[in-house]
Amino acid sequence: MTLLELPSPKAEDWRWSDLSSLPALAEAPHGALDLQRLRLPWLDCRGPRLLFVDGRLDPARSAPGCLSVGPVDADAGDHPLGRLIGGDGWTLRLGPNHAPPGLVQIVHVSTGGPDHLPAAIDLDADAQASVVETFIGEGWANRATRLALAPHARLMLARRILASGGFVSLTDRAELGQGASLIVTTLAAGGADTRLDGKILLAGDGAFTEAGGALLARGRQRHDANLIVRHAAPGGTSRQVWRSVADDRAVCSVAARVEVARDAQKTDGEQSLKGIMLSRAATINAKPELEIFADDVKCAHGATVGELDRDALFYMASRGVPETEASALLTRAFVADAIDRAGEEEVREAMHADAEGWFG
Amino acid sequence: MLSIENLHATVAGKPILNGLTLSVGVGEMHAIMGPNGAGKSTLAYVLGGRPGYEVTEGSVRLDGRDLLEMSPDERAAAGLFLGFQYPVEIPGVSNVQFLRTALNAQRRARGEAEVSAGDFLRLAREQGEKLGVSMDMMKRGVNVGFSGGEKKRNEMVQMGIVDPRLAVLDETDSGLDIDALRVVGDGINRIMRRPDKAVLLITHYQRLLDIVEPDFVHVLAEGRIVRSGGRELARQLERQGYGAIAA
Repeated sequence: MTLLELPSPKAEDWRWSDLSSLPALAEAPHGALDLQRLRLPWLDCRGPRLLFVDGRLDPARSAPGCLSVGPVDADAGDHPLGRLIGGDGWTLRLGPNHAPPGLVQIVHVSTGGPDHLPAAIDLDADAQASVVETFIGEGWANRATRLALAPHARLMLARRILASGGFVSLTDRAELGQGASLIVTTLAAGGADTRLDGKILLAGDGAFTEAGGALLARGRQRHDANLIVRHAAPGGTSRQVWRSVADDRAVCSVAARVEVARDAQKTDGEQSLKGIMLSRAATINAKPELEIFADDVKCAHGATVGELDRDALFYMASRGVPETEASALLTRAFVADAIDRAGEEEVREAMHADAEGWFG
Repeated sequence: MLSIENLHATVAGKPILNGLTLSVGVGEMHAIMGPNGAGKSTLAYVLGGRPGYEVTEGSVRLDGRDLLEMSPDERAAAGLFLGFQYPVEIPGVSNVQFLRTALNAQRRARGEAEVSAGDFLRLAREQGEKLGVSMDMMKRGVNVGFSGGEKKRNEMVQMGIVDPRLAVLDETDSGLDIDALRVVGDGINRIMRRPDKAVLLITHYQRLLDIVEPDFVHVLAEGRIVRSGGRELARQLERQGYGAIAA
């Protein structure tokens, strides 16, 4: 039995997370959830797919195609949760100019207890891929993913966190070469707590990234996203668009930082962190940060936290829309800002449906 | 159809309506005029049920039902339409989506069958065309990027779609040029000038009343009706000003 060492809530980067459920989840057995009764959330698209149940590949329900399963170094050893991850995981490696047909789908089912899984996506020059990862179940799904994009490679990565309970922690490390493009869109619309960590390094000239998503929480749920985009080369563009919705006593937190190195002139950075509280007892934390060492840059950042627009609610009610329905319409519109950034139409539609399911 | 008895209302603790009594019969069109601060918009909001507008005394009945007991959406389903002086912008929610949701919510509340997407689009196109609101505009966010005149025309499109029993129109003529005024006025006549409907038109000016000819004109001052008459009262007000009439 290993002793789980977790970061203290006193640490600045962890003060909004609640990891108190992890020790029990780490000791819990697998299999509390009946897999047969679950509907697997595949999207109706062609392309390679992998199903992991408690971190183990289910070969009968997978079609690996260009994906491989074996030892992976996800490069997250410096992260308190990422360092728990080792051994076998999945890899998507594409040669120059390669693009797999359709959508790459990875479904993670946690039936209870902990499962740690590394992954790597290596795209060679001009390769491109769209990947969607979906999380369901109620255990602790702990993931570390290394993303390496060679010059002009393009990756669209979507995460649908729909786990009904437990905890989902994702740690990403990404490095982008010249002119490469990475779009990461995350939707948390289940019952699990989450901790999302991302470090994106724009290492080559003119690299582009959009990293954001929507966090929906109710009850005593907590979502916590921490993202750092580092512009190390000139002419890079980054967009961080996050939308949080917290009901009841839930807490949604987003800390997003843009770092611009001395040489990264002509950087164009944008952060938009917005939150809506659906109840007076809910909490939204938004922490946009800029650290700029170059002098010719454009960095816009904005953070707003509030309630639904009362004038709009009354206007809708005066046309006959009941308050719950009006709230849902306004909240959907708010969340759509972030979801609509997902690259593929099928993925956007699925995320809208997921959010719809959350609104009930 | 609408019966207001001795209505008193406060906003943020301040009395605005002070014993307003008014009866609107079926098939009638009434205009309420009055100086700024008389309580015209407050009356509209109280009838619509806006939060923050507190009724302290009196009663309002619509077709015999207690309007003040109902939530704003229930009032809409009961047949009340409130036209806004400043229609609200709702980014991210299209006019089409908003109005279909509204119409079907009203129909559900009345125990009627919902309207299908196809039938709704036909209805929206038909009502939009009559007021110069294109389907392209209907697909945009509610009132987002609309000019003042377009917002008011859009109010009339909404009224045409939900087809209310009673319309309370709060300064629907404000901010309109003469052409837009004609379009909006014709819209009111076409949609609401019916033997089974009624209108309460709140306005500052005579000019809309030249197009929408009211059967009754009332002067509101300091929170109550101080004078009532026929169409000629509006012209008298225009000539002599509120001071002379309301005194």
